[in-house]
Amino acid sequence: MSQFRKEKNRFIFLMLMPATILLVGLTLFPFIVSFILSFTDYSLLRPGQTKFIFLNNYIELMTTDEFWIALRVTLVFTILAVFIQVVLGVTFATLLHNENTNVSLLRTLYLLPLAITPIAATFTFRLMFNPSLGVLNYFMKLLGLEPQAWLASPNTALFSLILVDTWQWTPFILLICLGGLASLPNEPFEAAKVDGASSWQIFTKITVPMLYPFIGLALLFRSIDAFKTFDIIYVLTSGGPGILTRTLNLYAFKHGIEYLSMGYAGSIAIVMLIITIVVAQIFLRKNKLLQPKDTLK
Amino acid sequence: MKVFFRRLALYAFALWSFFPLYWLLNTSFKTSKDALARPPTFIFKPIMKNYTEVIKNNEVWGYFVDSLIVAFGTTLFGLLIGVPAAYVLARFKFRGSADFGFWILSTRMTPPIAMLIPFFIMYLKLGILDTHIGIIIAHVGLNLSIIVWLMRGFYEEIPMEIEEASYVDGSSFFQTFYKIAVPLSMPGISAVGIITFLFSWNEFLFALVLGDSVVRTSPVGLYGFVGYQKIYWGQLSASASLLLIPVLFFVFLFQKPLIKGLTLGSFK
Repeated sequence: MSQFRKEKNRFIFLMLMPATILLVGLTLFPFIVSFILSFTDYSLLRPGQTKFIFLNNYIELMTTDEFWIALRVTLVFTILAVFIQVVLGVTFATLLHNENTNVSLLRTLYLLPLAITPIAATFTFRLMFNPSLGVLNYFMKLLGLEPQAWLASPNTALFSLILVDTWQWTPFILLICLGGLASLPNEPFEAAKVDGASSWQIFTKITVPMLYPFIGLALLFRSIDAFKTFDIIYVLTSGGPGILTRTLNLYAFKHGIEYLSMGYAGSIAIVMLIITIVVAQIFLRKNKLLQPKDTLK
Repeated sequence: MKVFFRRLALYAFALWSFFPLYWLLNTSFKTSKDALARPPTFIFKPIMKNYTEVIKNNEVWGYFVDSLIVAFGTTLFGLLIGVPAAYVLARFKFRGSADFGFWILSTRMTPPIAMLIPFFIMYLKLGILDTHIGIIIAHVGLNLSIIVWLMRGFYEEIPMEIEEASYVDGSSFFQTFYKIAVPLSMPGISAVGIITFLFSWNEFLFALVLGDSVVRTSPVGLYGFVGYQKIYWGQLSASASLLLIPVLFFVFLFQKPLIKGLTLGSFK
């Protein structure tokens, strides 16, 4: 028995070691550096005169309206975008799973937004959103609707960004759900069909609950990534009009890279990290995703 | 009737996914005047000039080769390192296993702004700036959390009886892992492999900061077509379109296990 135990512990150790070494090596140093910087007034403009200012960066952050606006924009963007993407991703993964013609073609078309170089896709969206020569307003006019300023208008800017994010990232959720559906057992579905359940009943009573661990993981990763979205917002609106689409990450970028005050940017990054950790812990505990359901004896 | 509506929805979604790409392809066959025509043109005299320019451009081929090396390397090493960790976290409880799992997840939460400069300093000291292996290591680090957590999810869906039977037959932990668990988790490995490949293939920020002069991946290279004054629409759209070909080939190759019921249906 103890021989078995020893072998098991050795197995666990060896299997986890490569991942541990890599992640400790890569993340520990950057984390410590930005954690320390966040208590200083370190600026690349005058690197020699850095002072410890303890919590001043954090106090300044908490008392600035800009921070709270950026936090609200980030939360609205993340929640709306991820919600829409999960609904679309789960729905179309299920529909595709039940389809039997041209499945391969459809699957490939669905994955295109993930496959294309984001720089090119984002600039194409910028061209399409262009108020005077963009194809979107061309369609709006054809349909007899009012042309929009899209990225420049306070009413539509955030919505347009969510649209682009949804286009780009729904396939991520769809792909995870397709993998999940492919690895679920067939019997419950067949039994439900035999019992005469409708497609809607099968979807809500069997597919979604059985797929739930995958949906939960897709939702978690998408939320973590959406919370720190940078590229599309930077290219499409740069946080405008005004600061209406300026997320925390863009706010940190502005201070860190444009104003070169790395200490302040570091404190924004630490606050973002804390928010993500707290939300993720609550989510994982509530959904019991932290530990395996069952283990090998 | 039901089938009709399902297909209608499926093709509508395909159209939505495809339309921006259609516009990109459309632009790649336009002259720079047509690309910015008002109103936008659907029917125009297509030109091949953008493609011939891009194909003759050795730098674009360089981006392509660099991206291919980085993305394949990241997928290979990411799966080699991540899948074993995922298996252990799915199958064993040990002291601190929940915290260990969460710690892996938390490596994805740090905003890139906080990582970039320390990363740069670290790479400078180690002398791996602007190398393939350097960018591969960074990309594996960025994506390991997703590989481990998704693969863990897939392992938890696989019934344990088969592995237990294998132990009863006298196989070791390692044998059971690579002879039983790995083949059974192929749908997961395929989905996660595609995701890792695409994330690495398209990653911009770290590839820019840690690479850029010797090793320049396509997202960084393509950004060169975006000038301060002017966007070179022709070359940007033509090279982006060409770059899709290898990705689609890879996705096509890797998606086989995703096809339903191929692996698990038989004994579940």
